[in-house]
Amino acid sequence: MVLGTEDATPTIFWFSVSPGASVQLDDLVVVQTMKPNGQPVDFYGLVDNVRKRHEGVTFESDVEDIVAGVLPASVSYAARVLVTRVSPEDFIPPQPGDIVQHARGKALEMALSADKMKEAAFPAGLLADGQILPLNFRFINGESGGHINISGISGVATKTTYALFLLHSIFRSGVMDKVALKKNGRQAGSAGGKAIIFNVKGEDLLFLDKPNNEVVEKETEARAAKGLSADRYSLLGLPMSPFRDVQFLAPPRAGAVGAAIVPHVDQRAEGVTPFVFTLREFCQRRMLPYVFSDAGSSLNLGFVIGNIEEKLARLSADSTGAALLVSDWDPAQSEEIPDDIQFDALGKVSLHTFGQLISYLEYKLIDQNDGEGDPKWVLKQSPGTLRAFIRRLRGVQKHLTPLVRGDLTNQQAEKFRPNLISGGYQLSVVDIHNLSGPAQMFVVGVMLRDLFEYKEKNGRQDTVFVVLDELNKYAPRDDSSPIKDVLLDIAERGRSLGIILIGAQQTASEVERRIVSNAAIRVVGRLDLAEAERPEYRFLPQSFRARAGILQPGTMLVSQPDIPNPVLINYPFPAWATRSDEVDEHAGREVAEVGADWLD
Amino acid sequence: MQIRLDPWPVDTLDGQLTLKPFAGLVYDAETPRWAAVAQKPVPESLKRVLTIDGKPRMEARLLVDDDGKLSVAGFGAYVVGAVDLCPHGTRQAELLNVEAKRILAYSDEAEGRMPISRFSPRNPHTGALEYQPHSFAGSQLEGPKSAVQRLMLAGEQTLAAQLASALPLDETDVNALADTLVLQDGPVRIGTAGSAVVGCVKTLHTDYLGADRIGLLSELKPGERTPILRFAVGDNGLTQAQHREQRFTWYVRLSEAPFYQHPLAGVMRLEMHAPEDTDFVPRAVQDIANLSGSLLCRLASQPHKDARAPQNLIPTAALEQAMGRAMGSLDLVTRRIRSHLVRELGVVA
Repeated sequence: MVLGTEDATPTIFWFSVSPGASVQLDDLVVVQTMKPNGQPVDFYGLVDNVRKRHEGVTFESDVEDIVAGVLPASVSYAARVLVTRVSPEDFIPPQPGDIVQHARGKALEMALSADKMKEAAFPAGLLADGQILPLNFRFINGESGGHINISGISGVATKTTYALFLLHSIFRSGVMDKVALKKNGRQAGSAGGKAIIFNVKGEDLLFLDKPNNEVVEKETEARAAKGLSADRYSLLGLPMSPFRDVQFLAPPRAGAVGAAIVPHVDQRAEGVTPFVFTLREFCQRRMLPYVFSDAGSSLNLGFVIGNIEEKLARLSADSTGAALLVSDWDPAQSEEIPDDIQFDALGKVSLHTFGQLISYLEYKLIDQNDGEGDPKWVLKQSPGTLRAFIRRLRGVQKHLTPLVRGDLTNQQAEKFRPNLISGGYQLSVVDIHNLSGPAQMFVVGVMLRDLFEYKEKNGRQDTVFVVLDELNKYAPRDDSSPIKDVLLDIAERGRSLGIILIGAQQTASEVERRIVSNAAIRVVGRLDLAEAERPEYRFLPQSFRARAGILQPGTMLVSQPDIPNPVLINYPFPAWATRSDEVDEHAGREVAEVGADWLD
Repeated sequence: MQIRLDPWPVDTLDGQLTLKPFAGLVYDAETPRWAAVAQKPVPESLKRVLTIDGKPRMEARLLVDDDGKLSVAGFGAYVVGAVDLCPHGTRQAELLNVEAKRILAYSDEAEGRMPISRFSPRNPHTGALEYQPHSFAGSQLEGPKSAVQRLMLAGEQTLAAQLASALPLDETDVNALADTLVLQDGPVRIGTAGSAVVGCVKTLHTDYLGADRIGLLSELKPGERTPILRFAVGDNGLTQAQHREQRFTWYVRLSEAPFYQHPLAGVMRLEMHAPEDTDFVPRAVQDIANLSGSLLCRLASQPHKDARAPQNLIPTAALEQAMGRAMGSLDLVTRRIRSHLVRELGVVA
C-alpha cells in the first residue's frame, strides 16, 4: 500500500510491503488510483530503495529487547518507487493506501513503454525478476535517435561484452527485419546491417565466430542462482551461438621491404586478414592529417599539414600502383640519403616506404635549395615549424611503416585493402591492440573517415554499427584531433547516414561532451563513485549513482529515452569465445560425434 | 540528616516519599522467618506471559440543558490490550487486542430525552456509530469520566480472566504452575480469583510491613523477594476482617537503587488472590513468587528509556504507547466531534 507517512508525489512515492511479500530493488510495480470522478490513473514505476525498520520504538537498543521477545514491535518493510510512467498523463499523486502490485504482463509492457516500441523492441537484458527489458531500436538506428554510450571501470564493467551482446541481440532478434518490414523495406533488414569493432585490448575479440565452451555451464549456474525458468538466452529469445559472417582484420607484422604480409596476431592462426594501405592511397586519400593526433595544438602546424596533404594528393594523381613516383627529388642534396631508393624508367624516384616519403618531404621542405626548401611547399612557413612537422613524422615512422607500404603489387594492394563495407561480412573486427598509440589513432581515423565518406555517398540504407572502446582516447574532452572531428561528425550527423556509434569509455567525464550527449541509449556498468557524481551521470537518480559503485560484471544500468529512469539488467555470458582457451572446438557436440565426422 | 531523591516523576501523585501504614492485620503466609528469598529460574512449563493494561481518555464534554435542567455527558475512549510474550525469549513479543473503544457517556437522568444518536459522530467510511452510548447513574460532573474508567477496568478484568490459566489453589499439587501467566497493572481485581493473574503495584503508598520489617526491602538484591504475606483488602483494623477479599503479597527488587534515591526505588509489590480462610500458600502461588524475580528483572526497563523504570515494565510501556496510538490524535478527534456537532446542531431540525 502507498504510505501516508511519507510524501506521495506523481514522480516518487513509498509503499509498505505486506507481510509475506517481498520486493527488491529494480522491481517494476504498478499502482492504480481513482480520481474523484471515478477515472482510474495508473502509475508505473521502478523500486529504487527498500528499507526495513522496527516500528514504534524509540531507542536503537530496543532491538535487543525485541529480539529477546520482551518488547513488542513490528517490522516495517517499505520501498520507494520512481515513477516511470503515468497513464493517462494526469499527474496527480497516488492516494495513500492504494494497493501496489508487481508489474507483470501487460502492466510490465506499460511500465517499460514496450507498447510504444511495438515491433522496434529488442531484448537488452533481463530485469532482476527474470523479465525482459526491451530497447527501442528506433532510438538506435537513427530514426528517432541513435548511438549507444557505455561507461564503466575497465575489467569489471565489461563494456565491450555488453556492446557485443547488444549487437548479437540486434542481429539475431530479428528487430531489424521487423522495422524494415514496417517501413515497406525502405530500411534494410538484418541482411543490410553491419558492424565494425575496433579491438583495442588483447586478442579478446578474435574468436567471436567460435562457440564458447563455458557458456552452457555458466548459464546453468546463473539459471540456478537466479531461479529462472530457462537459460537466459532462451528467455531473451536469442540463439546461444557465436557471431556469423565475421571477418578479422589485423595489421601486418613489421618486416623488411618486400617481405610477406602476415597478420600481427599471436593467438589465432587462421582466418585473420592483414590490412595495409598503399603509399599512393595514403597520399591520394589524404590520410596525412590522421598521423597527427595533436594537429590542433598549433595553427601553423595545421597549415603545413594541410598544404602538404594537398601537394601529396596532387602528386599521387600522376602515378599508378602502390608506390608514389616523384620526379623532383635529388637525393644527393638530402642530408641523409636512403639506401634503397629506386628509380624508374623515366628517372623518377619511386617511393616504396613510409620512411622514404618522409625523406622526400624533408628534402622538399628543408634541404632543397641549400636549406631553403621548395618555396611552393614551404609557403613561407618558419623553418622551426617545418622541422617540427618532420620531427613528428619521424616520430611515428616506425609505427606506420608496416601499415603504409609502397612495395605492393596491384593484386596485393587489392587483397589487403581493408574492406569493411562491401564484403559479405556482417561483422568486421579490426584488431589494433598490437599497434602503438599513434598507429591506432591513424587506423581508426582513416577507417572511420572512409566509412563516413562512403555512407555520405550511399545514404542510410544499411545501418553500420561502429563499436569503439576508449572513446576518451580518441575524442578527449579538451584536445582536438582529426579523429575527434570524424567521431563528432558521426555522433552528430552519423545517425542520419546510418552510422551508429556504440562507444565505450571508463569515464564519460573525459570524453567530448557532444559525443556522449548525442547517445540516445546510455549504459553504465561499475563506476568509480567519485566519477559517478560528475554531471555526465546526472541521468542516473542519486540512488542509482550510489549503486553504480557496486555493480557486478554482467550487470548494467540501461537508460533509454522511452523510460525516464534507468533500469538495472543482467545479460547472459557470451556465447562466443573471448579467449583462445574458451574456444569450443567441438562446437558443442559430443566428442564421439566429431570423431565420426572425421572418419567419414 | 538524610536526603534522598524520589525515584518517581513529579507528576506521579505522592511519589514514594512517605508510606502510609496499613491499618489492618498482615499475616506471615509462607514462613515466619523474615529474610530475603533468592530468585529461581522461570520453569519451562511456563509458556506464555501476558502483560495487561488499559488506558482511558476523555475527548470532549457535553453540557445538556434540558429546559433549565443541566446534565453532563462526555465523549471518551479507552483501550484495553495485552502484550503476549514468551518468558524464555523463544519468539517475538506481540501486541494483542489493542483496539480503541469509544464511549458517549451520559447521565441516566437524561435517558429517553436526549437524542443520543445525533451526538455520536459517525465513521465517514462505514457510517457506523463511532461512540457507543452508555448511561451512568446520577448527574455528577465526574460521571462521564468515571464511567469510561469503569468500563476500562471491567475490560481489563475480562481480558485477564480470559487469558490467564486457571490456578489450582492446592497446597501440594506439584504440577500446579499454569502455562499462561497474566501480569496486571495495579492491584488484582475482584473477579480474577482462581486464575494465574499477578497484580504489579509500581508505586508503594501503603506500608504493609511495619518499621521492624521494612528494612529488608532496601537490603534485597535484584531478583530477590520477601516471603509471602497475606492480608485482607480494606481491613482498617476496626471491623472484623472476615469475608473480605484475601490477598497474597510479596515484594521484589528489580534493580539496585542508586545511593541518592529513595531506598525503595526499584522495589515492586506483587499481589495475588488468596483463597478465603486458609493459612497456607498454595504451591502454584509459591512457584509464581519464586519465578517473579527472574521474570521481572528480565522485563524491567532502563531509567534512560522510561521515567518510571524499572517498575514500568518494557512490554507495559510499549503497550501504553500502542494504546495511545490506537486512540488516535486527540486534536483530530476533538476537531471531528466539533465539526459533527456543528453539522448536527447548526441546522434547526
